[in-house]
Amino acid sequence: MSDNEAQELVEIRKKLKTMLVENLSLEDVNPDDIKADEPLFGEGLGLDSLDAVEIVVMLQRNFGLEVKDMNKGREIFYSIDTLAKYVYDHTKASPES
Amino acid sequence: MNILGIGIVFARGSGINCYENALREGWQHPAEVNVSQAKDRRSSVYQVDLDRVKDKNLWKRLRRADKFSKMAVLAAASAVTNSAVLDIDKKRLGVIVASAFGPQVTTFDFLDGLLDYGEANVSPTIFSNSVHNAATSYVAEVLGVHGPCLTITQFQFSFQTALLMARVWLDEGRCDYCLVGAVDQYGEVLGYIQNHKLSLAKDGRIKPFNFKPTYQVPGEGSVFFLVSRNKTANVFCEIEHICFGKNGEDNNVTADLNIIDADGTLADESAYLSAISPEIPTAAYAPLFGSLMIGSAFNCTAGALMLKNQVYYKNPVTDNPQGINLLQDQGSSGIERISCIRYNCNAEAAVIHLKCV
Repeated sequence: MSDNEAQELVEIRKKLKTMLVENLSLEDVNPDDIKADEPLFGEGLGLDSLDAVEIVVMLQRNFGLEVKDMNKGREIFYSIDTLAKYVYDHTKASPES
Repeated sequence: MNILGIGIVFARGSGINCYENALREGWQHPAEVNVSQAKDRRSSVYQVDLDRVKDKNLWKRLRRADKFSKMAVLAAASAVTNSAVLDIDKKRLGVIVASAFGPQVTTFDFLDGLLDYGEANVSPTIFSNSVHNAATSYVAEVLGVHGPCLTITQFQFSFQTALLMARVWLDEGRCDYCLVGAVDQYGEVLGYIQNHKLSLAKDGRIKPFNFKPTYQVPGEGSVFFLVSRNKTANVFCEIEHICFGKNGEDNNVTADLNIIDADGTLADESAYLSAISPEIPTAAYAPLFGSLMIGSAFNCTAGALMLKNQVYYKNPVTDNPQGINLLQDQGSSGIERISCIRYNCNAEAAVIHLKCV
């Protein structure tokens, strides 16, 4: 991975953390406190199924990305790292979006 | 039906002690907010600062709730705490939430999302909060209520109708206690209407006794009463009658004080003059909490406090071009009955008669 790509991923992670805190109204959670590799659901950040739907809406609104297959969603939504990689890969693949 | 506990959220804070302090301190200038569609872009509003009134324990259970529901839950929880009634059977506790506009801010947010992003990409959380029964559901869920729950959304007399319904539930034995309250929220759409269609108070002072007009300062907030047939040591007062009609008065009831609403939605609110007696002093407390269609709930709270504490709270704004008999001084005496009067645009009145217990 080039320095450029790494830097872009860092930016996407930062943006996603802020979006999660704002869109999911995570009281008392600072975006910087969310670890990139910690699970978003269950024991990690503690998100639930309704939050997953909000994340789907968030990805569509902000990145033009659709996640229709919820089985894939499990992998994509595992952590900030996996989410950022999905956003990076798919916005790169279709730059016009 | 007795008022055993009161919870309140308004621009100056939350809790009955905060409201009592406001009644003692009198009028304060409302905050100024930016209104994108306003003629002069700035407008005075009695707005609730949720960060200032938030309850950390409640907030954990209200992550997805909007401001409308949060204000309702905060006031309802506070009413239960204030009552100090510890042994309420939650299956015998009802909830009735009254509102003039319902969660209109969230409803417009949902509609904006629909228009901007299409029906597949609207927020499910915003949708769930835009449902009119959402606040009632949050109150029931957070407080563990298993009794009957109801939302009454009505433009003019929602709070009075909610009180009547609470009385029916208690009379027919559907519950032993009922949390009955009112909530309304200020938002951009209301701000637009108020700025373009109504007479805004340029100096920030609602003038309830001016009548033509009373001038508007929008407000928001919530009030809840815990009511019951039972009496406790902490009881505030009895709600003796709730009357509707052309003049609204129950002719057999003579009050020591009339409290009138002032929502500022009409250019001429002089219908109130027909309910005001030269022998009975009149008060209006809208300048403390704002021009609200559910203002009767806040006025009733003032009345309940006066009956419990046997203290009159002076009028916060006393502009009196009609020369009516105003309650002038803060003082105490044997206060037996207080009437809270509200008129609608058809000159129909609803009066809540409060009685000392």
